[in-house]
Amino acid sequence: MSTKGQKERIELLQGTLDLLILRTLLLGPTHGHAIAKAIQFKSDDVLLVEQGSLYPALHRLIKRRWISVEEGTSENNRRAKFYRLTAKGRRQLELETSKWDKLAGAITRILRPAE
Amino acid sequence: MGRRKRMLENFDQDLRDHIETETQDNIERGMPPEEARYAALRKFGNVTRVKEEVWEVWSVIWLEQLVQDVRYAARVLRKSPGFTAVAVLTLALGIGANTAIFSVVQAVILEPLPYPQPNRLVMLWERVRLRNYQNDLNDPSPGNFADWRTQNLVFEDIAAIQDKSFNLTGNAEPVRVEGEAVSASLFSLLRVHTALGRTFNVDEDVPGGPHVVVMGYGLWVSRFGADPQIVHKSILLDGVSYQVIGVMDRNFRFPDPANFHASDQADQLWVPIALSPTDLSNHGSHSLQGALARLNPEATLGQAQVQMDAIARRLTLEHPSTNEGVGVNVVPLREQLVGNVESELWILFGFVALVLLMVCANVANLLLVRASTRGRELAMRIALGASRMRILRQLFTESLLLALFGGCAGVLFASWGLRALQGVRALQTLGPSGLPSVGKLGVGTPVLVFSLAISLLAGLLFGMAPTWQVMRCNVQRGLKEGGRESDSPSRLSLRDVLVVAEIALGVIVVVGAALLLRSFLLLQQTPLGFDPRGLLTLRVIPRSTQYSQPWQRSSFYRQALAKIQEVPGVKSAGAVSFLPLTFFQASKGFSVEGQPALTSGQLPMAVYDLVSPGYFETLGVPVLEGRDLSWSDTLQTFPVIVINEAMAQTYWPNEDPIGKRIKEGRADGAMPWLTVVGVVGNFRHFDVASQPRPAIFSPISQLAEGTALLRDWVVRTIGNPLATAAGVRQAIWSLDKDLPISRVQTMEEVRSSSVVEQQFTLLLLGLFAGLAVVLASVGLYGVTAYATAMRTREIGIRMALGAQRHDVMRLVLFHGATLGFVGVGTGIVAALLLTRLMTALLYGIRASDPLAFGAAAILLSAVILVACCIPARRAMRTDPVVALRYE
Repeated sequence: MSTKGQKERIELLQGTLDLLILRTLLLGPTHGHAIAKAIQFKSDDVLLVEQGSLYPALHRLIKRRWISVEEGTSENNRRAKFYRLTAKGRRQLELETSKWDKLAGAITRILRPAE
Repeated sequence: MGRRKRMLENFDQDLRDHIETETQDNIERGMPPEEARYAALRKFGNVTRVKEEVWEVWSVIWLEQLVQDVRYAARVLRKSPGFTAVAVLTLALGIGANTAIFSVVQAVILEPLPYPQPNRLVMLWERVRLRNYQNDLNDPSPGNFADWRTQNLVFEDIAAIQDKSFNLTGNAEPVRVEGEAVSASLFSLLRVHTALGRTFNVDEDVPGGPHVVVMGYGLWVSRFGADPQIVHKSILLDGVSYQVIGVMDRNFRFPDPANFHASDQADQLWVPIALSPTDLSNHGSHSLQGALARLNPEATLGQAQVQMDAIARRLTLEHPSTNEGVGVNVVPLREQLVGNVESELWILFGFVALVLLMVCANVANLLLVRASTRGRELAMRIALGASRMRILRQLFTESLLLALFGGCAGVLFASWGLRALQGVRALQTLGPSGLPSVGKLGVGTPVLVFSLAISLLAGLLFGMAPTWQVMRCNVQRGLKEGGRESDSPSRLSLRDVLVVAEIALGVIVVVGAALLLRSFLLLQQTPLGFDPRGLLTLRVIPRSTQYSQPWQRSSFYRQALAKIQEVPGVKSAGAVSFLPLTFFQASKGFSVEGQPALTSGQLPMAVYDLVSPGYFETLGVPVLEGRDLSWSDTLQTFPVIVINEAMAQTYWPNEDPIGKRIKEGRADGAMPWLTVVGVVGNFRHFDVASQPRPAIFSPISQLAEGTALLRDWVVRTIGNPLATAAGVRQAIWSLDKDLPISRVQTMEEVRSSSVVEQQFTLLLLGLFAGLAVVLASVGLYGVTAYATAMRTREIGIRMALGAQRHDVMRLVLFHGATLGFVGVGTGIVAALLLTRLMTALLYGIRASDPLAFGAAAILLSAVILVACCIPARRAMRTDPVVALRYE
């Protein structure tokens, strides 16, 4: 058992992985492994993302034309696929983010009415 | 799908790269290489599943799953050939029967009429509403036709139609050809074309116009060898030379309500009707067989009827003596041509649909039995993570596949069946005139689409049964019980409900068939009032210049009948204007001497026939009072008539009718008084079903003027009537070798062809009922046998504890018989509600006829008992030792 196991990890809600990928790509095009690392790092390792599950999500987003894909070279000089946010994806991200904010706000108000 | 291909290419490499990168990261964090790789893999998750999910993102999932499902279903069906064969065969019978009936419905009802914009075409008839006479399809008078035509604004034009048959003579044997005299506008109204030449012009459709004729394609080929020079040649019709000006298209069919689908009796010659000014002002003689019209583009049927009603009211005011109670009936041509068989076909269609429902119930039950033995497989698949949705889809795929196999086999059955019917000669002559000959029926695209549709529908319907089982599948129990049925037999299962429904449906079909059978038997047993045995009938119409005067025709009949009586085997002979049971009937209004004078509209009406002396004797109709007509009743003696019993009882109820006088038309009219000299027995005239109406018979020997003649001849023979046919022909030809002799048949043949439609319906419904009984019994047997098998262990215990064999038998029998009788009861109630719809097809009984219902109930109950007894006897012989070990 690894030491990281002591932290309680939360499984992702359905669909939120898409949101996280779009948010990550807002900072610029990058490759698959980097996206996985970024999500894990930024969430302080709280979110449990099986790295594999990233790929079906990526492909779903490509199919919806929210992200595009291009050939590039990774930091360690390997050829890799780079994923880039499209204009359509950017709009979708804004939409989803505001929806998320509303949802999170609403749930928070229910859970902590005193605050 | 370019993107799809690009994205899936090198995809494996992407994943490997990802894991490689993660491994490198781990090594950099200080892990040993081996552990670093495992950690990377662990973190990545299930590689295969990721691949599948990505694949799914890009695949047209439903299609691929469908292919998968179909493959799997085919494998499953192949693995249980017995089940598959029974299910497919049952379905094929049901779908095949439906397909066959639909092909008739399609050909008769759904196929558009072979004219451009056929829904704008209508037929016009007189709608007569008199105290003594009502007829919605009364033959119009030429005067009314002329006034309708000139006064309306709703029709492009109206064309008059008059039935006409011709004696076609020439180099070959004389033949009688059916045809019509029509207005020149008829062909342009129908918007049909000729294959050769032209149709007639308006200036040829005038009295004294040229003798021109348009010929049908069939006659052109059969009689004239498709002679391309036929146009401009002349042919002899009724001894008169007519110039052929055109030949109609091969596909042309004259819109004749009586023979629209029977091509062998179809009209083949058309001549101008050439109505004279006298005809056009004659409102009293109803000599047209309808009028055909095409609605103006902006006119509706309703508007047309309203306008024609107004015209009819005006005509009644203008011509009170002839047009009292005479309206106009505007009938869409389609309704006119198929209306008489339409309701019959829909009823048959309804019954055959019930049979298909039974088939569905049966197959559903088979599937249920199978689903319960597959319980373990399904539970296993659910446990392994298959979604219920996915399994439902799988089961539906299996059902639909079965249904499609059944459908294919059904279409084959139907087309074989139709072809087999063509081979049966008896059926060809038996083809009802309202239906197309079997040869014309085929399985075309619309029929195939229909079969596909009902196959899929049936598949969805019976496919619901096993899904119900899945929905309540308890995984744990399913796995534990190893696929054994867990229902307790006392609970009402879906199988029981299905079998009850199936039996109820079967009862409805059998009741329907029983009602038709009862009607038909009653129809067959109806006394005709004359003796059809040993009677030869034929049609000879003396029409040529040498018969133009009434006395010339009369003397021909007298001589010909005398010649016929000399033929060996002939006892007597007579002739009549319209043979009984051939759906023809003329009526006349008359006045009774000494009774208050009535206006034309209120005159009593009677059936009217012109006959030769000796007609009643030959037919076997008894003369009850007075005397028969005789050749010594001539133009020189006072005019006489014979009436039937119904006439005598209606108009002279407590008097002796002999010597009483009546007059055709009004009492103050110019017609001579006719003296009743005899009363003959009632006999069936128009058809077998109609009650005899008052009737008047005049002798041909006293016909003073006009074109009336005797068409049909009857010959009473000793022995086989057809054996004398050759001699009778020779006797007639010895007087005039140019007279065609047609419709040579026995009176019994006339009688059976007059009920051919009823017979046809009965035959089909009888077949359906047979199918229904088989399905119901197989269904009940299946359920009882299955339930018994499931209870083998219980039976074993009971027997081990001392139950007697007959106790066991009663146990099983009770279950099956309860289902059976609940089904019969439900069916009877449903049938009471439904058979009312077929009242129009019944004769002599009501739709709730207790005998028919009783017979159906008894038949099905007997079948039920047999179906339950077999498994019950098997259960009775159960060896307790074997049963207890039964797993």
